[in-house]
Amino acid sequence: MAAMASTDSGLTKAFDNDWIGPGVVSLAAAIGISVFQPAFLSSFNIFVLLSAISVNMVIALGQLVIIGLGQMNLALGSIGGLVAISFVGVIEKFGVPVPLALVLALAIGMFAGMASGYVIARTAISAFIITLAGLQIYKGINLGITEAQPFYGVPDLVKAFGNGSVLGPLPWLLVPAVLCSVSMWYLFNRMRIGRHILAMGCNPHAAELSGIDPKATIVWAHVLSGLLAAVAGVMLVAKLQIGQPTIGDDWLISSFAAPVIGGAVLSGGKVSVGGTFFGVVIIAIITQGLVIFNIDPFVVQIVLGALILWAVAINRLREVRIAKLQARGAGA
Amino acid sequence: MTALQVSHVSKSFPGVKALNDVSMTMSAGSVHALLGENGAGKSTLIKIITGIYQPDSGSVTMNGTPVRFANPRQAAAGGLGVVHQERNLVTRFSVGENIMLDRLGARALSSVDYTAIHREAEKWLKLLDLEVDPRSIVSRLSVAQMQLVEIGKALSLQSKVLLLDEPTASLTPNESTVLFRILRRLRDDGVAIGFVSHKLEEVFDICDRVTVLRDGINACDTADLTKLNRGDVVQMMIGRAERITKRAPRPKPDVAPYLELDGYASGLGHRDICLSVRPGEIVGLYGLVGAGRSELARAILGLSKQLGGEVKVEGKPVHITSVAEALHRHGIGYVSEDRKQEGLILLHSVLANGGITIWRKLANRLGFLRDSTVHADVGPVLRRLELKTPSVYQTIGNLSGGNQQKVSVAKWIAAGVKLLIIDEPTVGIDIKTKAYLHDLIHELAGQGTAVLLITSDMPEMVDVADRILVMDGYRIKGEVENDRNYDAVSRAIMGFIHGRLAA
Repeated sequence: MAAMASTDSGLTKAFDNDWIGPGVVSLAAAIGISVFQPAFLSSFNIFVLLSAISVNMVIALGQLVIIGLGQMNLALGSIGGLVAISFVGVIEKFGVPVPLALVLALAIGMFAGMASGYVIARTAISAFIITLAGLQIYKGINLGITEAQPFYGVPDLVKAFGNGSVLGPLPWLLVPAVLCSVSMWYLFNRMRIGRHILAMGCNPHAAELSGIDPKATIVWAHVLSGLLAAVAGVMLVAKLQIGQPTIGDDWLISSFAAPVIGGAVLSGGKVSVGGTFFGVVIIAIITQGLVIFNIDPFVVQIVLGALILWAVAINRLREVRIAKLQARGAGA
Repeated sequence: MTALQVSHVSKSFPGVKALNDVSMTMSAGSVHALLGENGAGKSTLIKIITGIYQPDSGSVTMNGTPVRFANPRQAAAGGLGVVHQERNLVTRFSVGENIMLDRLGARALSSVDYTAIHREAEKWLKLLDLEVDPRSIVSRLSVAQMQLVEIGKALSLQSKVLLLDEPTASLTPNESTVLFRILRRLRDDGVAIGFVSHKLEEVFDICDRVTVLRDGINACDTADLTKLNRGDVVQMMIGRAERITKRAPRPKPDVAPYLELDGYASGLGHRDICLSVRPGEIVGLYGLVGAGRSELARAILGLSKQLGGEVKVEGKPVHITSVAEALHRHGIGYVSEDRKQEGLILLHSVLANGGITIWRKLANRLGFLRDSTVHADVGPVLRRLELKTPSVYQTIGNLSGGNQQKVSVAKWIAAGVKLLIIDEPTVGIDIKTKAYLHDLIHELAGQGTAVLLITSDMPEMVDVADRILVMDGYRIKGEVENDRNYDAVSRAIMGFIHGRLAA
């Protein structure tokens, strides 16, 4: 027992941290690329990279809440897209001031999430099906409003937010991303609702018998997911400087890839905000690195797929090892 | 003082009257046994008390006030603590957080005060004499510790009524003793405890009142257990006196072993395993939890690497690498300990579960399989086992535990295996079905099947096995010829196990 405890507190424990592995990989990739292409470390390039990371982090967090619950949110992108065009739409068509448009946009995201959550909680039908239907509905509303044409009336203030920098290579977009990350870390580790979401994800039966209200917890998680999708939608409008109806169409794969690379278990109950951050960073660096080296975009897809497999394999190895340690502990 | 009273409760499900006019009175400061065979209505009654089901008629009162809980959460809030048969803990959370899971904060967005949570949890752990840091993660605890944590959790709701469903099913005798000491103390503190168990020794050890259900009615309602003996209780449960199952020792079959292990070592940690099973012989494998018995069964089936020694089937050295190979080439079947997780596909029909082992044999040349073909092979076996099911198309998850176990045995009989490894066949199974399964094992052996029986139930071992191998720490510690003399045999077995402890 003593031997086990000492290895536990030492090296093994460091590797049990979900963010260490992806963190080391991100660093290695960054160093590797900058050796061959010093331009990678240029202030402008870092600014571009951080802008992409900021938006993708918020998207990944939106999926992370639902993964924690042991469900998936396929409608994440279509909620983000609907919010994006609504945000620009009300400003352009009705002259709504930016702060009010922002409040409205976030409310739409939360409402869309609440609708998914309520139907899932109420009917107990799989979140996969409900959010798949949600994806179609929100996308349909989006196309109905825009007729597939973008809104161009993004105010200068928003444009400045989307491509301005706070200081040197640090974009303004980093601010909401950091706020969301810190809040979500606090939520998962220190807030009742976060703990209840993870408890439900780990063992829904036990959670319910312990007095957790499963329906309220499911609705909460989807409201948070909708809110984060809305924040990401508005950030993308600012970054792209245009209210594109296609915003959100390509969120799905990376929204799952980053949390999984960061050690989240898809069956629920285990998430890591730090790990997810490095997952986002790895995806951003690889995507950009391959562009720097003029490698075909299809390679990006293959590398991303390989990364997901690698992350899942690492998680699996870790679980097997813990199970073995336990078996030995029980046998001794 | 009456803490919980169930009066004239009835409950019907489509086609079945599960409970008919059932009553029970639990008093403060008393441990009340709820007994009955599988399917007698115990689970239904517990589900009605805890608000999972609503009664069709009758009432439940707590401390004199009628209650009608809409769900288990309300029941918990109303002071009714329940420890269910299966573990209900969030294993990735700390002990303290599990105990306090419903009291982490007033509002959804409240911050969790872990210092306060762990301080409060520590109180309940102390009360249970459980020396565990409330900050430790539940998945690192032993099964017994988890059990106690659940009791702590139930008590932390200030429960004055505590229901325990098969609390000792996964505990060793020592751990049960500790649990009982705590239960006695809680009883003396005025808690009304309901105790469901299949182990009558335990019931007589700890309970003072008893309610027996049989076929959904009261065989007795809140009787004084001290005025009853074991025979009386068994008679109420099964409606007749317990059959005395003393079998004559069986002659040793004079044939070559079907399976032989010689100096076998596995990737799971087994070393120097030597054992042989002859056709028609029942070899018992006894050991405490964690001795490596089920693991040995798995290793034999090819689920672990063979690291050394020799495995012979019918005298020929073999190297089994998968369960499919064990079954189809060597005729070795395995009735697993955990029938719900590993033995049966609960959502599938009785027929599909019973026939799964012979699909390969029965499929026609194009690989098509017809229900009628499967039924022709499986049907007679199920009839022979007196399986109680409305039809073979019934989803197996809806049958009682005993009937499920019959199907998991039936599938191997249908497959015509030469060696059957049976792991803890009667855990959570009522007395009648248990005796029935014992007869069945004997009948199988009588027809020439080699049987390797794994059980922690000593009376079962002495009643069924021909000879007993004692296992401890992933090694075979000794062998006992079984002459059905319970005292001598059990003493010999314990000698082999405790030999290690003394050394």
